[in-house]
Amino acid sequence: MRNTFFGIAAASVATLVAHASILRAEPAPQQIDLSKFPAAAVQDVVVPVPSEIFNVLDKLGHPNWKGELRESMGKNTGNRAQVALLLGTVIAEGFIAVEAEDSERIKQIGHDVLDLSRAVGVEKAVVARSKAIVDKADARDWNGARKELDGALQDVRGAMDELNDEDLAQLVSLGGWVRGTEVLTSIVQKDYKRDRAELLHQPELLNYFDRRLDDMSPRLRKSDLVTQLKAMLGEIRPLILEGEGRKISPKSVDQIHSVTSKMVVTITSSDA
Amino acid sequence: MKIRLLPAALLAALAFPLALQATVDDALSFAYEAATPYVQQGFTFREDAWGGDLGVGEQKAVTAQLFKGNNYWFCLGTDTDGATVTVHVYDSKGKLVESQNWQKGRFGGALVNPKQTGTYFAIVEVKKSPEERTHWALVYGYR
Repeated sequence: MRNTFFGIAAASVATLVAHASILRAEPAPQQIDLSKFPAAAVQDVVVPVPSEIFNVLDKLGHPNWKGELRESMGKNTGNRAQVALLLGTVIAEGFIAVEAEDSERIKQIGHDVLDLSRAVGVEKAVVARSKAIVDKADARDWNGARKELDGALQDVRGAMDELNDEDLAQLVSLGGWVRGTEVLTSIVQKDYKRDRAELLHQPELLNYFDRRLDDMSPRLRKSDLVTQLKAMLGEIRPLILEGEGRKISPKSVDQIHSVTSKMVVTITSSDA
Repeated sequence: MKIRLLPAALLAALAFPLALQATVDDALSFAYEAATPYVQQGFTFREDAWGGDLGVGEQKAVTAQLFKGNNYWFCLGTDTDGATVTVHVYDSKGKLVESQNWQKGRFGGALVNPKQTGTYFAIVEVKKSPEERTHWALVYGYR
């Protein structure tokens, strides 16, 4: 749908593009004082889609992605918070399977996404995506599969928001972030490069997740899973702040890997 | 406000461009229009977007986590005829970091090639408008 739109709109914007060089805006200030921005005028951080990070990783070498894939996706315990987190980790796994060009694994993940979405009442939102993921994997269209996984994550979140399950939507994002960070740190550990480690420098994103956990319902906020997520973010925060003009050290990468790995085990274990 | 464009709204925007109501969804169709050339250049635009309404001279900062190694186009649009909107991108220290910027009436764009991975701010401003409040929408794509 969006591609169709872009195709139709292309003609109307063609002139604009052709003259882009003469459409320079009036000069913007080279420096602004962000602290003077009223809080109400600042929108919360935009959570990046996983493809943004994988896009950079593609340019930084060829890690052994197959070696990063998990044997088991974990268990659905029936606890909705756990299922939401698990769903996030499974979608993240899909991106790893795409990088590994493992079509069978991608197809399995497409089915798993549908099953877990059903468990939290948002199946309808991802039926088409799930099928598209499987189709793209069959066609070995890796970019297409990646886009569908991005879309699945957003569709799941959107459906949860519409059901006023914003808390669960945040947990899906967090689950994906935790698993994605576990894998990213694993890759950096195996072949440390400063540019790769710098991808972990996400201070506002961590603050954002932390605020969202604080805003959750009291029942959820007091749950073991959310308590452990809070603790994990607290452990990671000082380590990724090293990115402010300094490198994130191999030791910090190890520590981040350790805490995210523990969290993934907690999310995927049957007693979560 | 984070927004998502529903397919039905998109179809309506394409079928009845003159009958658009002033909503953020309508502004979003113009933001995507501004993004069209960059899609053709290989940029992947996210399916979600950000928007709201502003008075003339008012600004909004959209906080974004950007990654060194990617290039980003931020594209802005409004559905208000005769309005002028701009977007500029700053790093966490308030330094202007865009490598290209353009503005054409209801459209605006800024290209960022982050020198560091971290937090950035896309500052949206309504420079001129015949309306008291002007709806705007911002999308971004990466390559």
